[in-house]
Amino acid sequence: MKKSGYVVVALVAVLSLGGLGLGSYSWSVWHVRRWSGRRDLNFVTCNHCHLVSIEKMPWAKQRPHHPAAAGMAVSPDGKKVYIALDDVDQVVETDVISRKVVRRLTVEGAPFGLALDSHGERLYVACRDGDRVVAVSTREFKVEESIGVGEAPVAIAFCHTKAGDRLVVANSISDNISVLAPAPLKELARPQAGREPYSVSAAPDGSVAFVANRLAVPQNYLAVPNSELTLLDPARGRVLARKSLQSAHLAEGVAAVPGRSWSITPLVKVRNLVPITQVANGWVMSSGLAISDYQGNIRQMPLDEAQDYFADPSGIAVDATGKRAYVASGGADVVSVLDLDRLAAWLAQADEAAQREAIDDLSLSAEYVLARLPTGRNPRHVALSPDGRTLFVAERLQDTVLVVDTTTLKPMGRIVLGDGGLTDPIRRGERVFTLAARTFQHQFSCRSCHPDGHVDGLSYDFDGDGIGDNMLDNRSLQGVAGTEPFKWIGKNPTLAVQCGPRFARVLMRTDPIPPDELKDLTVFLNSLPPPRWERKHNRPLTPAQERGRQVFFATMTPAGKPIPRERQCHVCHRPPLYTNRLLSAVGTKGPRDTTDMFDTPHLLGVAHTAPYLHDGRAKTLEELWTIYQTNDLHGVSSYMNKHQLNDLVEYLKTL
Amino acid sequence: MGLSCFVVVSSPAWVRGVEAPVKDVPFPVIERFENFGEKDGIPSHKVHAVLKTSEGKLWIGTYDGLLVREAGKFRRFGPEDGLSHKLVLCLVEDPRTGDVWAGTMRGLNKVSGGKISKYTQTDSGLPNNVVYGVDIFDDTVWAATAAGTGALNLKTGAWKIYDHNNAQMHEPWCYAIKGAKDFIYIGVWGGGIIEHDPRKGTFKAYRDPDGDFHYDLIPDDGPINDITSWLTWEDGVLWQCTYFGMSRYDGKNWKTWVQDKTPLLSNFTQFVWSHKGIAWIGMDKGVSVTDANYWVNYLVGDKGDGLVEIHRPGQPIEKRTMSTALANCFVLGIYVDDDEAWFATSNGLSRGIFAPQPKRTTVAEAKQ
Repeated sequence: MKKSGYVVVALVAVLSLGGLGLGSYSWSVWHVRRWSGRRDLNFVTCNHCHLVSIEKMPWAKQRPHHPAAAGMAVSPDGKKVYIALDDVDQVVETDVISRKVVRRLTVEGAPFGLALDSHGERLYVACRDGDRVVAVSTREFKVEESIGVGEAPVAIAFCHTKAGDRLVVANSISDNISVLAPAPLKELARPQAGREPYSVSAAPDGSVAFVANRLAVPQNYLAVPNSELTLLDPARGRVLARKSLQSAHLAEGVAAVPGRSWSITPLVKVRNLVPITQVANGWVMSSGLAISDYQGNIRQMPLDEAQDYFADPSGIAVDATGKRAYVASGGADVVSVLDLDRLAAWLAQADEAAQREAIDDLSLSAEYVLARLPTGRNPRHVALSPDGRTLFVAERLQDTVLVVDTTTLKPMGRIVLGDGGLTDPIRRGERVFTLAARTFQHQFSCRSCHPDGHVDGLSYDFDGDGIGDNMLDNRSLQGVAGTEPFKWIGKNPTLAVQCGPRFARVLMRTDPIPPDELKDLTVFLNSLPPPRWERKHNRPLTPAQERGRQVFFATMTPAGKPIPRERQCHVCHRPPLYTNRLLSAVGTKGPRDTTDMFDTPHLLGVAHTAPYLHDGRAKTLEELWTIYQTNDLHGVSSYMNKHQLNDLVEYLKTL
Repeated sequence: MGLSCFVVVSSPAWVRGVEAPVKDVPFPVIERFENFGEKDGIPSHKVHAVLKTSEGKLWIGTYDGLLVREAGKFRRFGPEDGLSHKLVLCLVEDPRTGDVWAGTMRGLNKVSGGKISKYTQTDSGLPNNVVYGVDIFDDTVWAATAAGTGALNLKTGAWKIYDHNNAQMHEPWCYAIKGAKDFIYIGVWGGGIIEHDPRKGTFKAYRDPDGDFHYDLIPDDGPINDITSWLTWEDGVLWQCTYFGMSRYDGKNWKTWVQDKTPLLSNFTQFVWSHKGIAWIGMDKGVSVTDANYWVNYLVGDKGDGLVEIHRPGQPIEKRTMSTALANCFVLGIYVDDDEAWFATSNGLSRGIFAPQPKRTTVAEAKQ
């Protein structure tokens, strides 16, 4: 062929391809606009609406499981310690002297909290994913009976009351407390707690049980958040008092103090309403302790130091004399040792004003913190031998339990439960997630705002977009895989960007997370399933939920009027992740917002992520349409009666 | 100001002087009243509801807040404490947890451990903010509202609504609600009584067979009227208050009463409380107490004096005066136990102190 022929062929080919490309582009734009109903959209990749399946999600795939230690219980003779291993569905009995596992028991449903009866003959296990409490004979080390309780029980305490023995169980997702008779197991009462009851401890005389609640109940998103310390009469199963932990939350542990009529609750003093212009001096958050008497009079004291923080305090144990307490800080890999005599002495000499302001004086902890014991990765739970001489610290993310001699405060060794899982990038990523060392003065970890990768229920003001502007509701990371872009304005295309250098500048105020750790972190985040996925997925719907599903997928009103495509719920909140990952204007721009276009959040687990909307102004799902709906821009709801709205909410709760 | 009560006294004349003990009436008779009002710290003269909990604490719902009596003093909860609205219409205690639930003009509230959490029609599945009646049955809180009955499952957090769309209701204006042994009874304004079986999901309506608004054409044939203003149930007996008389249903037979023709003090009945088979009925003219045979009526005379009528079957009416009287004759709420009776009135709170009851000797004791 002549040279000119080749040119012609090439030209024809180029023009053909160009035409094909242009045609494809034009068709895809038409396709997106037609099926979304939105004229403002241009080219959008296919996988916003297609090619997405649950099976492809990282969290839906098999992953390695690790013998990570959760709750522990020490036998009355101090010779054995029982350890719950929630990720492998086991409870193990270990010998304190040899520090070896001597017996294993399979307990399905993620055993998480443990309690022994007075004689050490029965071990009670709170199974977080099984929604039940199991009673194990310690002699035969087998399950004797079980009982259903509320949703996601994570903590359990045994106590002896005037009315008989009781078990008090914190049901963290149903926000209530199960009070049980222990033998045979029988639920006597189920009073309401605060939001996410997470830890229980009973006074030695059984007159009161303290339940620490992790989160604050949503109120006005500009209100100071207060989580709750619930005081309960375990004999009758009645709430005695609900006391506020002022401007504090993430209360994940509580211990009654023998001989003092106290309880102590580690907490995080959060300052979310203050624009995050800096991090120093506890600007964003600091760790502290709530000391409550039996009537619920609370004083808050700092756990942190002025230039050093001990992030994510959770487990606490107090010795039988009431003189020493041990508080695990999972983000700092430290157990703080407290001298309660000195703490009491300071409180006795301080007037009311000094006590009120104590929590903000980070120099105070030197008065009563005896020592800071370094531990392995992510200490969450602690337990003491009955004589107080041996402390057990669950080093959750290295599959060990540290054993400490409390007289010398020196480690004696470890109970090794597994290999630490460092060949697993998910495990490595979780270690990054829970490590406060990457933030300025170790003030907080990722987990500090996203406990268990979930929400803390608060709104924050990041100063980068203007002080006082664009308040942002904390979003859950559970089920976040495949839902990019990230941030409410959709600015960050991937998790790596979300958690990368920009995040370091805006929040961490230190060097960015190193690339290899960042990679592991994103693997971990992608591995988090939506809340309660296994309990919810593929369950049959009740009639109300099915009616709600029809409302959600409706293309016209019951009167036959078509609903504009762009306002049909399922178009923006497209299954299976219930997001099309596009920005939309739904009429929710506030007076201090600089945009009205917000990323469409995924709805998997939405029932557990209150409050709602980009700034957290909607306390409940109902309020999305009863108060914050504007001209049917957030779906067409003006035709709905209360039945239909209730049904829609019931359906959303199934996701 | 409360309603003034004007009673025309006709012969036989009211007996003045030392009240002789009433020995033959088979239920407690009040010998005197203690009254509480603004001078005692109750912020409003109008008291809508009264309840004594299993722990002995007295709660009252007023026009201006929810109050609890502690160590002889009233402590108030208002909107500033989280109460959804200051006008409290109804109260009930959850017997298992001790929580007190209060219905108001703008939402339902739970008082637990000294803290109030509220449910409104905008932030929850409550059908309507005007909550006239509330009760607890199993694990569910039932609220009678101006737009249907709402049921909140305390374990699951799920709401259900029953109204004219899905239940046998003439209209959704629900004025009262009461959990019975196997049923929920809903008092519907203009709809009579709805009997709901929550386990089967069925409804049965009890309507006035006369179909006449003002008259009980045929007594004892069914509910006396469809305008149910309150109802209660105890041990198999359902009592219905209407604005046109009173009804009683024992599961088989109905019994109706109207003023003038029966000992019922007034047709305009507002509230009924049943304790050990005795109905205490509040209305615009005072209180009637009955076991369906004997009646004791408490009135307020034109001079504010206390008047008592004792109706014995087949005997003339005995009329007495009392040294004290109800705070007001318009009675909106009642609580009675073995020890005392409390009355929420349009002008204050009254406590009725029982006269000592004669010990009734059993046959076995007599033989001994």
